[in-house]
Amino acid sequence: MRREHWVSILLGLGFILLWEVWVHMAQTSALVLPAPSVVWQSLWQGLASGYLWPHIVSSTRAVVLGLLLGGGVGFVGGMVLGESARLRGILMPYVVISQVVPKLALAPLFIVWFGFGTLPIVVMTGWRCFFPLLENTATSLQEVDPQRLELFRMLRASRWQTLWRLKVRTGLPSIMAGVRVAVVLAWVGAVVAEFIGASKGLGALIIAAQGSMDTPLMFAVLVLITVLGLVFYKFAEWLERRLLRLPVDSQKKDEK
Amino acid sequence: MPRFLELAAVRYAYPGRDDVVQGVSLHIAPGDFHCLIGRSGCGKTTLLKLAAGLLQPQSGAIALQGVAVTGPNPDMGFVFQTPTLLDWLTVLDNVLLPITLHGQLQAAQRGKAMDLLDQLGLKDLQSRYPQQLSGGQQSRVAIARALINTPPILFMDEPFASLDAITRSELQRDLLALCQSQGTSVLFITHDIAEAVYLADHVSVMQDGAIRHQLAVDLPHPRQPALRFTPDFNARCAELRQAMDGIA
Repeated sequence: MRREHWVSILLGLGFILLWEVWVHMAQTSALVLPAPSVVWQSLWQGLASGYLWPHIVSSTRAVVLGLLLGGGVGFVGGMVLGESARLRGILMPYVVISQVVPKLALAPLFIVWFGFGTLPIVVMTGWRCFFPLLENTATSLQEVDPQRLELFRMLRASRWQTLWRLKVRTGLPSIMAGVRVAVVLAWVGAVVAEFIGASKGLGALIIAAQGSMDTPLMFAVLVLITVLGLVFYKFAEWLERRLLRLPVDSQKKDEK
Repeated sequence: MPRFLELAAVRYAYPGRDDVVQGVSLHIAPGDFHCLIGRSGCGKTTLLKLAAGLLQPQSGAIALQGVAVTGPNPDMGFVFQTPTLLDWLTVLDNVLLPITLHGQLQAAQRGKAMDLLDQLGLKDLQSRYPQQLSGGQQSRVAIARALINTPPILFMDEPFASLDAITRSELQRDLLALCQSQGTSVLFITHDIAEAVYLADHVSVMQDGAIRHQLAVDLPHPRQPALRFTPDFNARCAELRQAMDGIA
């Protein structure tokens, strides 16, 4: 690891230490701001007793399903809109409206439509994360080098071949950037949806902890969501590197 | 002489603009190396795209081996101004792209690709990626890709314009040898007089969308780089230069 990494880690540890010391010095109530050690204790207990696991599983499942739904819709929709200027003109305003509309305000409606349980949360998550993928896919498909398009015309490639073997492949860095944003948004979407209409899941647990004034548990769940979000983000990064793997690229990265 | 590629009174205008190509007629014989020379904006690239079927003329006719050209067909190879390689494919896969786009790859075709790479001095680089190659090597890969199906005609659009003088002259020599060994006809666009004289059997000078002067370059084959320093060579260059100045 390089020096900046160590400095970065030390900075985080220093912050936690300062927090710990400050809470002890100021005698802050655990109701308002629990010390990191207390949060850790709550987290460890929750994990060891098995209390947290069903919630983790539930939220993770919602995020994965929501990502598959939203990602699928975003990618396919992006390809369709990227290929057809006419459809873009007709549909794009509504896509934007669907993102501008306050999704949180619609969550109660989702419960009416889809009932309690996983489905409204998955739909909410999917809705939250389809946009960056759609936008990035649609935009990147239009930014292909015209000479490469001419090459594919010269080689009598079909429209599908040109789309799949040239446009999507050229747009992959941009599409994968959309995936990374979608992964982050998916966790936000799932947790917020669980706030409103779920009996299970980490978002629901935060609301429950709030109801029972268990602030250390709230912090523990926050830590969990952050770690899970980070794991998903790192996975997206890893996937991106795998898909875009070229010997030259890795060499360049090593040199940096 | 049999007419192999034939353009008859071809006219073309981009939407909303004057004619870029104004009634050009041009014949290229089998195995002929034909250079089209002219200043920037004279319509030479447009004419090349018309011949290759990438553009459709507003009037006039284009035929290859007696068949009307209505679009790109497998009997054509095309080399663009820049190598236009796909970064994510190896050198070998780039060369084989015209084949893999249209079905299963056969062992003989892979062998053909290896032969081409060998003739172009790239055999050891077959599993490299384009970014790992020099500009000249990338141009060589683009030439190999254009010749992989052994097309009877090759269209080239100022393919060496961005290369340094020495690399360019090596590529010119190797291109001539390759086309001669395969019997390929070439329609080659350039703005470089010396390049045109060195490569071509026939040169057409283009100006304002029309061909203003034609020259048969009767210098002996195979052409060696030393040819460039002979009085015969320079006389041809001077004639072309004069033709270009005279119509400017």
